[in-house]
Amino acid sequence: MNSVSTSQLWSKRALFVGICVVILFFRVLPLNTLPPLWTGPDLLLALTIAWVQRRPEYVPALLIAAVMLFADFLLQRPPGLFALLTVLVCEQLRTGVAGLRDASFAGEWIAAATAIVGVTLLGRAILAMLLVEQAPLGLTVIQMALTILSYPLVVLASHLVFGVRRPNPGADDMAKGRP
Amino acid sequence: MARDKAQREDYTGPVRRLLLTVIILCLGGIFLFWRIDSPRVEQFRARIVDHVMPSFDWAMVPVTGAINLVRDFQSYSRLVEQNRELRSELRQMQAWKEAALQLEQENARLLDLNNVRLDPRLTYITGVVMADSGSPFRQSVLLNVGARDGLVDGWAAMDGIGLVGRVSGVGQETARVILVTDASSAIPAVIQPSGQTALIAGDNTAAPLVDFLEKTELVRPGDRVVSSGDGGVLPAGLLIGQVAADRGGRLRVRLSADLERLEFLRILRHHGTETVTDPGDVVRPNRPPLPASSANE
Repeated sequence: MNSVSTSQLWSKRALFVGICVVILFFRVLPLNTLPPLWTGPDLLLALTIAWVQRRPEYVPALLIAAVMLFADFLLQRPPGLFALLTVLVCEQLRTGVAGLRDASFAGEWIAAATAIVGVTLLGRAILAMLLVEQAPLGLTVIQMALTILSYPLVVLASHLVFGVRRPNPGADDMAKGRP
Repeated sequence: MARDKAQREDYTGPVRRLLLTVIILCLGGIFLFWRIDSPRVEQFRARIVDHVMPSFDWAMVPVTGAINLVRDFQSYSRLVEQNRELRSELRQMQAWKEAALQLEQENARLLDLNNVRLDPRLTYITGVVMADSGSPFRQSVLLNVGARDGLVDGWAAMDGIGLVGRVSGVGQETARVILVTDASSAIPAVIQPSGQTALIAGDNTAAPLVDFLEKTELVRPGDRVVSSGDGGVLPAGLLIGQVAADRGGRLRVRLSADLERLEFLRILRHHGTETVTDPGDVVRPNRPPLPASSANE
């Protein structure tokens, strides 16, 4: 039932890259060139973490590294840093996934929130240590909070639209599962 | 279930761990290299963007257009009201147009009288805004003109009225313009009419700060801010905006350029300000050079 065929595996990986490209595409559209007072969530990060927690085999580390490095280059971020942090955090989550398998959605959400906060704070700390000019703290905090809040929606969309479900959709999973 | 476990075992294998280490080292290496030799990596970034963005262009233009159309549609509901406002504005504008025409004629006459020659090399290239920085923390836009069109880093970008930013990062077909609102932007400026020099430093808000001002009391809100040309990067005399005081009492610049919806930008060709390097000779009629005359005597 839950065997993952090679073609399905690769089509899901391709789907991940496709979604990331679409997200990036909409982020670089020149819709508003005034400096914003607030920011939207970092959907790329939320999506990656959601997929890692749901189906780690769909998002291997190399794929995450490649996509995030590309995003770093495209979005004028310090290249490599956020890719590195995302890969590290995702590996951390991946080792925790086995234990999380039977956990409720709240547990998953807390793990995701920890990961998002970790990426943001570590990124800022490293940039501060290397004396790199940084974005205002307020915007970063808003983005972090919105990313955490958007996580359930990203999971829901992944579940319903993109078919990224836990490997064993048993009855207990459904009962305890998503809100 | 058994198969699932086997897969997980497979995932934590030594090969995988090695791959992970290599990835982490590579990414860390790229980041450190960027920190050490930023210009080279930024050049590489410009090359990547140059390859990627033009291939997105076919989709970006219609999508941007469609979203803007939807936004505009929301304002159609106030059409009658807007029409009335526009008519009254038009009447005012006609008065201004009359004044401007008279001033233009007067200006032309005065220039003619003074035999002033405007810098003939100050021409411009117009580019279309393709994309923005995609990040709320960086204020920049990508234009569809690049090294192919002779663009050089540092040239000024205007929107027809005021300074918008300067070129920073030129690809073959694209160029990035750092807006004056970006936190890394600092533009030497002079404030009219007091003649005070200052630095217009962006801080990721809509109105950049007026920094390094010597005598603050000489500057009043409403004063014009134009680029001073110090540093030789931007030409002098480009209009930036007007001084305004924010709630905290700090002086900021209300930009003349409309940054809300940038579509076309003018890039001014600027070949550097010529500087006087020799100390100057004694003024005298043309004579043979000194060594020759001293040898004769």
